[in-house]
Amino acid sequence: MTTELADGAAAAVTRGRGRATAGSRPPGRLRRSLQTHWYAWAMCAPVVIVTTVLVGYPLLRGVYLSLTDATEANMGRTIGMNVIPATYEFVGLRNYADILTSAEFASRLGWTVVWTVVCVACHFGLGLGLAMLLNRPMRLRALYRVLLVLPWAVPSFVSAFIWRYLLNGEYGVVNAMLRAAGLPGIAWLDDPFWAKISVIVVNVWLGVPFMMLALLGGLQAIPRELHEAAEVDGASPWQRFRHITLPGLRPVSSTVILLGTIWTFNQFPVIFLVTRGGPGGSTEILVTYAYQLAFEGIRDYAGSAAWGMVILALLVVLASVYRRALHRQGEVW
Amino acid sequence: MAAVPAASATPARPAGARPRPPYGRFRRSPLASVALHLTLIAASLAAVFPVAWLILTSIKPRNAWQSTTVELFTDPTLDNYVQVLTETSFLRWLANSLIVAALTTVIAVVIAASTGYAVSRFRFPGYRSIMWMLLVTQMFPVAILIVPIYNLMAGLGLINQLPGLVIAYLTSAVPFCAWMMKGYFDSVPVSIDEAGRLDGLTPFGTFWRLILPLSKPGLAVAAFYAFITAWAEVAYATAFMTGDDKYTLAVGLAQFVGQHKAEWGLLTASAVLIAVPAAVVFLLVQRHLVTGLTAGATKS
Amino acid sequence: MRRVLTAAAAAALALAISACGGDQGSGTAAPASSPVDPASVSGTVTWWDTSDATTEAPAFKELVAEFEAKYPKIKVNYVNVPFADAQNKFKTAAQAGSGAPDVLRTEVGWVAEFASLGYLAPLDGTPAVDKPEDFLPAPAAAGKYDGKTYAVPQVTDTLGLLYNKKLLKEAGYDEPPATFDELKQVALDVKKKTGVEGLALNVDSYFLLPFIYGEGGDLLDVANKKITVASPQSTAGVKIVEDLITSGAAAKPSIQDSYTNVQTAFKEGKVAMIFNGPWSNADNLSGKVFKDDPDNYGIAPVPAGSVKAGSPTGGHTYAIYAGSPNLQASYLFVQFMASAESQAKIAGKLGLLPARASAYELPAAAENDMIAKWKAPMEKAVDRPWIPEGGQLFQPLLESYQKLANGQATAEQVTQETAQAYQGLLKGWSL
Repeated sequence: MTTELADGAAAAVTRGRGRATAGSRPPGRLRRSLQTHWYAWAMCAPVVIVTTVLVGYPLLRGVYLSLTDATEANMGRTIGMNVIPATYEFVGLRNYADILTSAEFASRLGWTVVWTVVCVACHFGLGLGLAMLLNRPMRLRALYRVLLVLPWAVPSFVSAFIWRYLLNGEYGVVNAMLRAAGLPGIAWLDDPFWAKISVIVVNVWLGVPFMMLALLGGLQAIPRELHEAAEVDGASPWQRFRHITLPGLRPVSSTVILLGTIWTFNQFPVIFLVTRGGPGGSTEILVTYAYQLAFEGIRDYAGSAAWGMVILALLVVLASVYRRALHRQGEVW
Repeated sequence: MAAVPAASATPARPAGARPRPPYGRFRRSPLASVALHLTLIAASLAAVFPVAWLILTSIKPRNAWQSTTVELFTDPTLDNYVQVLTETSFLRWLANSLIVAALTTVIAVVIAASTGYAVSRFRFPGYRSIMWMLLVTQMFPVAILIVPIYNLMAGLGLINQLPGLVIAYLTSAVPFCAWMMKGYFDSVPVSIDEAGRLDGLTPFGTFWRLILPLSKPGLAVAAFYAFITAWAEVAYATAFMTGDDKYTLAVGLAQFVGQHKAEWGLLTASAVLIAVPAAVVFLLVQRHLVTGLTAGATKS
Repeated sequence: MRRVLTAAAAAALALAISACGGDQGSGTAAPASSPVDPASVSGTVTWWDTSDATTEAPAFKELVAEFEAKYPKIKVNYVNVPFADAQNKFKTAAQAGSGAPDVLRTEVGWVAEFASLGYLAPLDGTPAVDKPEDFLPAPAAAGKYDGKTYAVPQVTDTLGLLYNKKLLKEAGYDEPPATFDELKQVALDVKKKTGVEGLALNVDSYFLLPFIYGEGGDLLDVANKKITVASPQSTAGVKIVEDLITSGAAAKPSIQDSYTNVQTAFKEGKVAMIFNGPWSNADNLSGKVFKDDPDNYGIAPVPAGSVKAGSPTGGHTYAIYAGSPNLQASYLFVQFMASAESQAKIAGKLGLLPARASAYELPAAAENDMIAKWKAPMEKAVDRPWIPEGGQLFQPLLESYQKLANGQATAEQVTQETAQAYQGLLKGWSL
């Protein structure tokens, strides 16, 4: 019984899973492998089963739906005295062709990318800046820290509501202050350009504290001696930042940037609750758009499922990039 | 962007103009100090203002939000709170949110813990696939699964049922918890496992008796994230919950400020009721939250 | 008034007879062919009410209490669902088969859609349809799909021009504008002389219809299966809106929270004229400038365009979910709620217009002067297309209208874009 662990622990160091040995196993390899690994498999079983049932099955169904023309009207159902037969059909890749050739796709994808990149860049930039300010001895540091973390502590849907009120063109306090200062109010949520700015501002407001705390942790983990040595060698503040701080932060920053990217890409509440994708669909990101297809208007289940699969493909690409980054850091799998 | 605050805190000066005291121990010039504090004060104001305004609005009379001028206080009153607590289903929504989030959390952590340990310690055929699965499924946006899950749940009669919502949340909570716990287990020294092995414990015994008790902080952090994710989820809850008595807070609050309704007084009062306790808890535990989330990354 | 209503009743009667006639041979499984003793029916009826939760819901809750007193074995579970969400929520629940109400208050435009999807129970021959000859023709027609009755009218309504009499007087006008040209002039004068905005537009497709109708346009020509939203007439109507915005006669419209911002401005006396329907009576009268001075609240028909004055027929009906396990109790509930007495009570309390001719005669309705004031606007009501896609026509138009309000699209672009979207929606229709 105790050998599996040794095997497992050793394997962690010596080989990245069974790739090296896969071809050269003697006969009876399945049984041997079962003997060696059944603990690991048993321990993974709950997640594998749950994921297969809850994610895998719906996913397959989603793939199937995306190849049909299913809408609310032609999905079969029986409601009381009304029996409606299922009449949706297999249409092959038509939904995908429709999506990929539509102007909607290009513009939604473009805006989603801009939204994600700008938000994550602002999160990281402002978060790093604030973290570096907080990472030095000063008075009131603890107070600043608490105040700056506050936006993270408020549930995101509450924040979205707050901002929708603050940015109301007529009765919002932001415009009231602008007017009090003698400036014209801005149509924050009514003009496509400003609506985009608004949702970005809201999301940046929400996301900076997390980045700040994570990067502050990372900064504190960088040995002070490195900075001191560099300073003795005459490195400028910029050089120290470039060659010590940034590389020292890399493990933390790669994690938080990945998380930030995923969270922002999937940031449903901010868009949905602040602008509902408006005005005129201008702030609709991929995720809210697919939602809208499925649950508003005529419910285009097939189209929405196809959009979902396209989004999934994009995410798999993102995950591969991330895995490659992990690979470079020495995580082997 | 990154360089701006950094530069403002350490004003650029010609290289070698003056020998500087060692890093971290130098005294800032008064000007730099003022700049530092001003920057932080400005940032703090930006962070706090929306919340402060929320609180101020909530204690104004019900229709005072319609004012187009900036007034800090107008006839402070708790009417909005009274109304929210007595005339709306706020407490019901709160209970629903708590139930759904708590169930999601407990189930996800229980299911995910052993897997997190297995992928942290063992290398086995299928390891790569499981890691991939965990990574990809936790980034699944709601858009991918919501349609098939809706259709399946409709078939099972789980639409407008709290368990249905819990199941929908588990799709992302389980892989997320497993991923996070793997990160935490990675930071627990392998020597502890070895000690367990020497004592004759099975791998599962080691996990259960030695590692889990040591990993309570990691579990707590994973649980906390699962909780707040479920607590603040909007899409599934909006799409699946159709009855007023089944709404979670995110759906319920939206009723106050719909397309034809603007009860910002009620909205702000309920937002304060939700946000203040949440914020207090959050501020108490925030330090652990970040270390927990980046544990895997920082140990190296 | 009596003459109009009698004619209406006669038309409704004719319709009802023909509908019943058509129903005989269709062999539906209408479950209530055998009469059930109402007193023996028991169960719980869940009712989704979409009325305004603050100003209107209490009156409906009172009616519910009366129903429960009359039928002690039936319990009513009253749920208020915001009007804007109800259509989607009902579809979600109805298709899923769980979480749907037994009875729903539907907008007249939703009935055909819900019925075509199989979500509604046919009501012909059930106690729910009581004295159908008494219903006004337009709401009665909206409750039918494919020759069967799926919904029973509750209230009828349309859009009118609502105005602040004092502000208009200050600007030198005793009468509200009767044409779009006058509307623009009055709005500009109000702005000049009083300093507040003359006109506020709610950026919502429904509120665009009076302008399109006024110039002789329409969204669709149902009889000929033609999409007419991009016709020269419809486009001319949208152009009037464009001109109102660009000339400054209308305040710069807000898009997010458009409806509530307009309402708030009107109630606070920050704008003199808006378009809205009788459902906003109670809300308007609770506003600062009308609360102590209800006479200041003016109601007029929508101004006329070059062709006519026309406003969309709206209103609400009671529909019963096909999957309801409490059909018998639901029929009785709908019968009670849609009775002339109930409609008159609602009219008296809220100023909503009854959908039954006889309700107008009852003292409870007659004592609310709103009912009489809305008579003139009602005469301009134009029927909307009662087709399954009817509920889906507004979203594409809304998105284009939002662009117009931002100055990002011209009237031509708005109607062209909308027509394109309609082509995707309405298979087999021509432009």
